[in-house]
Amino acid sequence: MAGSDQINVCESKKVVPLNTWILMSNFKLAYNLLRRPDGTFNRHLAEFLDRKVPANVNPVDGVFSFDIVIDRSTNLLSRIYRPAAPETEGGVPLSTSFNLLEKPVSKSDFVPVIIFFHGGSFAHSSANSAIYDILCRRLAGLCKAVVVSVNYRRAPEHPYPSAYDDGWTALEWVNSRPWLQSKDSKAHIFLAGDSSGGNIVHHVALRAVKSQIRILGNILLNPMFGGQTRTESETRLDTKYFVTIQDRDWYWKAFLPEGEDRDHPACNPFGPRGISLEGVKFPKSLVVVAGLDLIQDWQLAYADGLKRAGQDVKLLFLEKATIGFYLLPNNDHFHIVMDEISNFVRPMPDCE
Amino acid sequence: MGPTPYNSSNSSSSACSSSTKPPPPQPPDQMDHLLAGAGYKVRSNDLTQVAERLEHLETVMVKSSPVDISDIGNDAVYYNPTDLASWVDSLLTELNPNVSGSGSGSGSGSGSGFVSGSGPAYVSDPVMNDMNNVYGEFGQQVVTPIEEDVSIRLVHVLMTCAEAVQRGDMSLAGLLIDDLQGLLGRVNSGCGIGKVGSFFVDALSRRVVNSPQNGVVQVDLSAYENEILYHHYYEACPYLKFAHFTANQAILEAFDGQDCVHVIDFNLMQGLQWPALIQALALRPGGPPLLRLTGIGPPSLDGRDSLREIGLKLAELARSVNVRFAFRGVAASRLDDVKPWMLQVSPKEAVAVNSIMQLHKLLGPGGPRGPPVDLVLDWIRDLNPRILMVVEQESNHNQPEFLDRFTESLYYYSTMFDSLDACTAQPEKTLAELYIQREICNVVCCEGSARVERHEPLVRWRERLTGAGFAPLHLGSNAFKQARMLLTLFSAEGYSVEENEGCLTLGWHSRPLIAASAWQAIPKPSVVTTGR
Repeated sequence: MAGSDQINVCESKKVVPLNTWILMSNFKLAYNLLRRPDGTFNRHLAEFLDRKVPANVNPVDGVFSFDIVIDRSTNLLSRIYRPAAPETEGGVPLSTSFNLLEKPVSKSDFVPVIIFFHGGSFAHSSANSAIYDILCRRLAGLCKAVVVSVNYRRAPEHPYPSAYDDGWTALEWVNSRPWLQSKDSKAHIFLAGDSSGGNIVHHVALRAVKSQIRILGNILLNPMFGGQTRTESETRLDTKYFVTIQDRDWYWKAFLPEGEDRDHPACNPFGPRGISLEGVKFPKSLVVVAGLDLIQDWQLAYADGLKRAGQDVKLLFLEKATIGFYLLPNNDHFHIVMDEISNFVRPMPDCE
Repeated sequence: MGPTPYNSSNSSSSACSSSTKPPPPQPPDQMDHLLAGAGYKVRSNDLTQVAERLEHLETVMVKSSPVDISDIGNDAVYYNPTDLASWVDSLLTELNPNVSGSGSGSGSGSGSGFVSGSGPAYVSDPVMNDMNNVYGEFGQQVVTPIEEDVSIRLVHVLMTCAEAVQRGDMSLAGLLIDDLQGLLGRVNSGCGIGKVGSFFVDALSRRVVNSPQNGVVQVDLSAYENEILYHHYYEACPYLKFAHFTANQAILEAFDGQDCVHVIDFNLMQGLQWPALIQALALRPGGPPLLRLTGIGPPSLDGRDSLREIGLKLAELARSVNVRFAFRGVAASRLDDVKPWMLQVSPKEAVAVNSIMQLHKLLGPGGPRGPPVDLVLDWIRDLNPRILMVVEQESNHNQPEFLDRFTESLYYYSTMFDSLDACTAQPEKTLAELYIQREICNVVCCEGSARVERHEPLVRWRERLTGAGFAPLHLGSNAFKQARMLLTLFSAEGYSVEENEGCLTLGWHSRPLIAASAWQAIPKPSVVTTGR
């Protein structure tokens, strides 16, 4: 197999900038150390290796951040990112930021609040991981939005449905903060996430359907879905672009309840055990699929499932993109997607 | 709307950014700034080489069994993942012990690093030591379990009051303090921001009433009273235990293979750190060394020789586990009063200098011979210690502007109080809180040489220590793991240990509160060595 591994390495190197290749390869190889064959996870080493950054009350690139415990019983932490008002660029006295917490984000402007769920296949990363802190900071700045990055509980220590429960807790919390309200004294909530975070977006939105909470839109970046059968893209792209079928299987096994297979609706929402969303008031969705992601068939099936149920879905298929393209702003896909997201979180023309 | 396929003709063949110009040539030492943002330091000119090492690593991994790979995850010790090149090399070494690493990015470290299986921890690379830490400018942090409504009001008025104090508007400050007393009555002062808020209101009112220039704001406690508070703080929360534990591990490793070792403790207090080290040395394969301990502490004013008492107790313990032990107490009210000859260091000994929350006290106004910290670091360096262990509060309470100090300490201590709330039973907590309160009072009320709690963050200590001729010794994944396991002994789940470029921090939730780092003196160029 040595020969084909050479080819794999060469292929992935051709399609991403060198620093991206280094970043993704490092994750891939380091993560190999953490997934034990017996299904346990080397959490100590994972936390040791994860590069974390503190929150920043002094604005960086026009955005400041702070951490809040939103649920003491589960120690659920969130990092909040807010664009600094232009006239305070270069050093907001802390007292001012506390003023900001007392009052709504804006009385007159529509300020989207994006609840963000980081990726990591349900097992890796945190809200304060450097790669996600930077991504959220960029989102907040580009979209002129408040971003609430949720530090949800991870597998295998906390399998299904912990991550969804934490997502729901965050949604309720955001919805009830007066200081996250803007135009029309409402919180204008969007959900966003990459990889496992994208999966969480779907399930939190699903849960919200039966509630009074209104979600204005879902953004799914390379969302993590799957199923029991092996699809064409999985076979074709296995091991070639930083991801393998084997690791995908491991993470699903770690997340799904004991004894369940990948047709469990958490993994395969429109599969044999899925439910139809026909007639359901589901938020509009922006689904971004990377053409070199081996699970794209499942992601495309997801978008298709929404479409067939009559839901509003925009599919953005980036043919030459690999997983993690949005982590560094050094490629066209990044900029295209940021623009799309920015437009997606605008108010509807007839804003209710 | 249907799918919008990405127009592949837009992407250049190199898949780089949309600009068609090649990036400008980088100066040789330039770090790749995008990787730096992700937490990894790789020089732009080394990208190709690091990529090759990663490819090689993958080839090796593919040939290994999953069990082997999992084993190296479990057993091997790793250092400083930010230095990506050396991380990759350490993995290669683990998987293929016959092949040497490329050496890119990591120092030579022959014999001067830790001996725990995974390669050199001594970093001699000046660029890696570049103190322009990416996060350096990220000054203030906020963390916290901010509760809203009244608590926010409380914080708001506290800030306004502090601003008034900074401006010198004491009459306004006084009025605001009355407001604050009122607010304290309405907030839950039993926990969280209410509790710590009351200490800050108290500190502000002391400052307003007795301006620091005129009177004594903070009454000294007797040594006995200090010890009681310290002991309760030690028991109530893991910060001191983490400091002692991490320091002892590093010292133990630094003393590996040494027969005569000498630990210099900059603040002996009750000697709580040392029984564990004595016992660990007793169990050392090959037998314990001769251990000398020099404990520095304030002179006793009440006739007791408390240093000697502690020394005797430790000697008794050492005797019981067959460790040859000698103790010496050095009484000094300030660290900069200590002269190196008092420590009686012998050239044949391996020396460890242990400074737990002491160095910041030297950052006050200097005398005619210069800043006290520089003088002390200089004589430490002269001792040529195998390790200088530094543990400090991870916050900037030494900023020149009062309001900045006030603000930063408000967040720091409210986080610390929050952690106390979560895990301590009531009786211990009160005295532990008093211990912390004295720190708060010193930061807020005192000035000049009376203000000794001049905490500075790890970023600043790195600059200072590197500038003073010390090189980092990295704390690794074994120390990290053991610290995490120590924390499981505490019922509260909010504590977090983080690795920060070879240093370890302990914090509450995502806010580091204590930072531990290890250092080795770089021999001075003019020193003539007469033998090895």
